[in-house]
Amino acid sequence: MKFLGLILKSARRSKRRTALTVLSVAIAIFLFASLRAVLDGFNAATEASSATRIVTQRSTSLFFSMPTSHADLIRNTPGVQDLTWASWFGGIYKDPQNFFAQFAVEPESYLRLYPEIQLTPAERAAFLEDRTGCIVGDGLAKRYGFKVGDKMTLRVGIPTYGTQDFDFNIRAIYHSAGAAVDNQSMMFHWKYADERSLRKGQVGWYVAQISNPDRAAQIAGDIDRKFANSPNETKTETEQAFQSSFVSMFGNLNLLLGSIMVAVVISTLFVSANTMAMSVRERTTEIAVMRTLGFQSGTVFLLIAGEALLMSLIGGALGVLLARAIVNPDFLQAGTFVPELRVHASNLAVALSLSAVIGVLAGAIPATMASRLKIVDALRRIA
Amino acid sequence: MALIELRGVTKKYKRDAIEIPVLERVSIAVDEGDFLGLMGPSGSGKSTLLNLLAGIDRPTSGTIQIGDTEISNLSERALATWRARHIGFIFQLYNLIPVLTAYENVELPLLLTQLSKKQRRDHVMTALTIVGLGDREKHYPRQLSGGQEQRVAIARAIVTDPTLLLADEPTGDLDAKSGGEVLTLLQRLNQEFKKTIVMVTHDPHAAERATHTLHLEKGTLVEQGGVSA
Repeated sequence: MKFLGLILKSARRSKRRTALTVLSVAIAIFLFASLRAVLDGFNAATEASSATRIVTQRSTSLFFSMPTSHADLIRNTPGVQDLTWASWFGGIYKDPQNFFAQFAVEPESYLRLYPEIQLTPAERAAFLEDRTGCIVGDGLAKRYGFKVGDKMTLRVGIPTYGTQDFDFNIRAIYHSAGAAVDNQSMMFHWKYADERSLRKGQVGWYVAQISNPDRAAQIAGDIDRKFANSPNETKTETEQAFQSSFVSMFGNLNLLLGSIMVAVVISTLFVSANTMAMSVRERTTEIAVMRTLGFQSGTVFLLIAGEALLMSLIGGALGVLLARAIVNPDFLQAGTFVPELRVHASNLAVALSLSAVIGVLAGAIPATMASRLKIVDALRRIA
Repeated sequence: MALIELRGVTKKYKRDAIEIPVLERVSIAVDEGDFLGLMGPSGSGKSTLLNLLAGIDRPTSGTIQIGDTEISNLSERALATWRARHIGFIFQLYNLIPVLTAYENVELPLLLTQLSKKQRRDHVMTALTIVGLGDREKHYPRQLSGGQEQRVAIARAIVTDPTLLLADEPTGDLDAKSGGEVLTLLQRLNQEFKKTIVMVTHDPHAAERATHTLHLEKGTLVEQGGVSA
């Protein structure tokens, strides 16, 4: 502790340089924590997926639909307890930039299979009874100021649904009890969309409730075999796999965002290491004087490394505080597909640890240089 | 009884393949309580001799005994510990740490001891009072004159009550008045506090303050004044 004052004084030697170094670490850690929050958001839905729900889609792509006639065949598959379906609507709310997910769902069974969608009995009844009724997530409601009883009009975004605008009554604002369902979506009656659809009786995907998660693969195989060699072959997978493949449509996010994170952290490491090296070079005489006074080379190493660590940790703390303040649903709306955009405690811990690693690595070489300094040579340099 | 004993000390530096002799078989004995002035032209080896006495450089051959310790055999680690306990070093350019106050500069060697904060404060204030700067503890080096800076450096050198004070041209960067004050202070440390001092100087007037003088030329002792060589 008695050396802490010495470390602090040394760090304040060049206030501008120290501030810039701290800031560069802060920005790197902010970016790291923010990008990780995005990945966490994507992964949250996957991790929270139900083990007892399996999803059937067209084998070719999620973009292609299937006939409703598949419903009975899937429902009759041994092991399937319940079934619902949904379609992507793709409507436009006032402006194409106001993007959020809208699902045309079979309402009764959908609410049954997704208990994560929390509604009061009265809200549930109001939604089910109104053919043009819809429910919106509380996140979406907050974003656009929706209230129960409001009317909402969506322009058609996918030509299949004709050209006429769709009017909706907001019957409830749901709260999501799990990351498998985000709070940024809107759901309405599939029949309402279907009656205006140019291709009647089409469904985007089916969701089946199964009794035994251990039999998911077998049941999925049984379902797909029923439609093999038909014009509408299917691909059935667990909800978790479905979520993963949905996320993968954005590309390999782990690789993409991970690469950015690594690049940012490494460049910051070089900046910090260079700053510390400059600082040590400027202090050559002082270090020689301290060694003359009897400071051990190990103590000198710890003083320099401690200074780098301290600067990096302060930067890291600033970075995570900034990330915590900015990357949260109250401040930043990322859109529909990232259900939970917030910096979790584990993310903070990793980011802070990373700042410590940056500090240790950035300080290691300059600290070694300082500790190995030959006193006489260093003193002669200025004599 | 001799506090310092150098026997046949030779120091050579290597520059690429060339060996440059700096000291040639120097033998000196300095008694406890002496104030030795080391004189000689530039390049004569006097600073090198001082560095060897301080244990910040090692002889190529020969032995250096200070008190009971044969320092040429000590490891780097042991040598650092020994320096902290036994050596007070005064540099020509003061070499105070610019970001530390006078108090903190003087306290620096005490951070290596087990003294409490209060004990360290007592030691620092005593040292600053001895050099006449008890009221400047909060001043940074840039706020002090050259003479004051050197007096803070002397306080730093004496704060651990070392066995030996080594001064490398302590007045070399000072005007005559400040230099005179520093020399008076060194004399007082020698006479009043019985400190053994070895001072390197170019200045014959400065050397006059010493109780003995030795002259080095081209790495060998050419003259002695009251010191066994």
